[in-house]
Amino acid sequence: MSEKHEGFMKALKCRECGREYPLAATHVCEFDFGPLEVAYDYDRIKKSLTKAAIQSRPNSMWRYRELLPVAGEPTVGKQVGFTPLVRADRLAKALGIRELWIKNDTVNYPTLSFKDRVVSVALSRSVELGFKTVACASTGNLANSVAANAASAGLKSYVFIPADLEQGKIVNSLVYGANVITIKGHYDEVNRLCAEIAGKFGWAFVNVNMRPYYAEGSKSMGYEIMEQLGWNIPQHTVVPMASGSLLTKIQKSYQEFTKLGLVSESAYSIHGAQATGCSPISVAQKAGLDFFKPVKPNTIAKSLAIGTPADGFYALRVMKETGGAADDVTDDEIREGIRMLAENEGIFAETAGGVTTAVAKKLIASGKIPANDSAVLCITGNGLKTLDAVVGHVGKTREIKPSLREFEAILASEEKVGA
Amino acid sequence: MAAKPKNKPTGQDTVQQTRLWLMYPPKLIKKPLIWELGHKFKIVTNIRQCSVSDEIGIVCLELDGKRQEVKAAIKWLTKSGVSVEPVEISAIAG
Repeated sequence: MSEKHEGFMKALKCRECGREYPLAATHVCEFDFGPLEVAYDYDRIKKSLTKAAIQSRPNSMWRYRELLPVAGEPTVGKQVGFTPLVRADRLAKALGIRELWIKNDTVNYPTLSFKDRVVSVALSRSVELGFKTVACASTGNLANSVAANAASAGLKSYVFIPADLEQGKIVNSLVYGANVITIKGHYDEVNRLCAEIAGKFGWAFVNVNMRPYYAEGSKSMGYEIMEQLGWNIPQHTVVPMASGSLLTKIQKSYQEFTKLGLVSESAYSIHGAQATGCSPISVAQKAGLDFFKPVKPNTIAKSLAIGTPADGFYALRVMKETGGAADDVTDDEIREGIRMLAENEGIFAETAGGVTTAVAKKLIASGKIPANDSAVLCITGNGLKTLDAVVGHVGKTREIKPSLREFEAILASEEKVGA
Repeated sequence: MAAKPKNKPTGQDTVQQTRLWLMYPPKLIKKPLIWELGHKFKIVTNIRQCSVSDEIGIVCLELDGKRQEVKAAIKWLTKSGVSVEPVEISAIAG
């Protein structure tokens, strides 16, 4: 094909055969059905993207805009990203590791999950490509983010969700004026219908025909981690896995910064975290396989409940290449992970954060993450989104009359227990 | 450029092309399910990619046929124990 650069993008490229495609709304290779990925002109990027240039820009994910797939200036979600990287000494002690950091996307703008990163990229690119209507199929966080970001950009949005989704998650999309369609049926049927809708209506379906652009937004989490660590790649990164895409994009971010000379080359491992009730990638990694077997999800970690992970094969490859490991945790361990993070660091994460914390605990205990090393946990969503999962599991209130004596009695009983 | 909308009403007689990933569990790997599919339903099958091991069979299949035939073929495959995903794999995300 004739190369027509847009911004710093060169083409869409098949991850399997390397064939190149124009920078349009398309997502699979016509020859082998491999996924398409954005290819960049790194020589030009190297001249433009320096540490000084990055540091002079506003604190958002767009400070790395040359490495994000938009041709011009971003138009949607300009304030997204640059969330805190928190030094977590108390949690480090509890987990038994020398140094621990939390990449805290529970406070990502505007919908409190890392999905705002991928959605702001997908919608900015959708506007560039001339779309007026955007859509997604989601079990929660993605739906909320598409609804909110589309509203702020004046785009029409359609959000498809399973009919049995909790009321709270539905309200979090409806409030932005999105067209929310609930679909009754088994996951497989809903999945196939959504793929069919994406192909039929000519909309920007963020995680289908816009997927090559959408997925690149995840890299910003990795760029921020390196900059916030003083331009260093962490020794260990623990990443929750649904489709497996975030894990592969964290590696791509480390590779790109190394290639551009923004960080020194150093050894690193990327580890994957799943819930036992939906652990196709983790099971395959532990068995030493390079493929996964589809499963039917049954876990409280709904945001990770993807039984047939689109990037599972690539996530397995990244873990193998970087010496990473995977593990999975039960629903009770997930709740314990949420509590450990909250009680030690004051960060309330959704169930995926509980998965990441609990899996990190296992990996440290087993020595797969050595106790003398340093690790970053990627915490991807806010606990207020999954209150149902922890209600009844985080202690009880104690009621008293408006009486000082009754309060002192409670304190005395606590002192007795503590003594 | 954004693709032109193709949202004509979907009739059961509309001929369509559907692209699927099929995943076979080990017990089905030896069965000629795609041959059977071509005989049971009025559809054209075209294998575009495949990988078969002792543990799993993965086939990328194009199906051409009337919508109702394609839907019935997918139903038969899933009933037979094959996991059927669109080429996009997970259209639903977290």
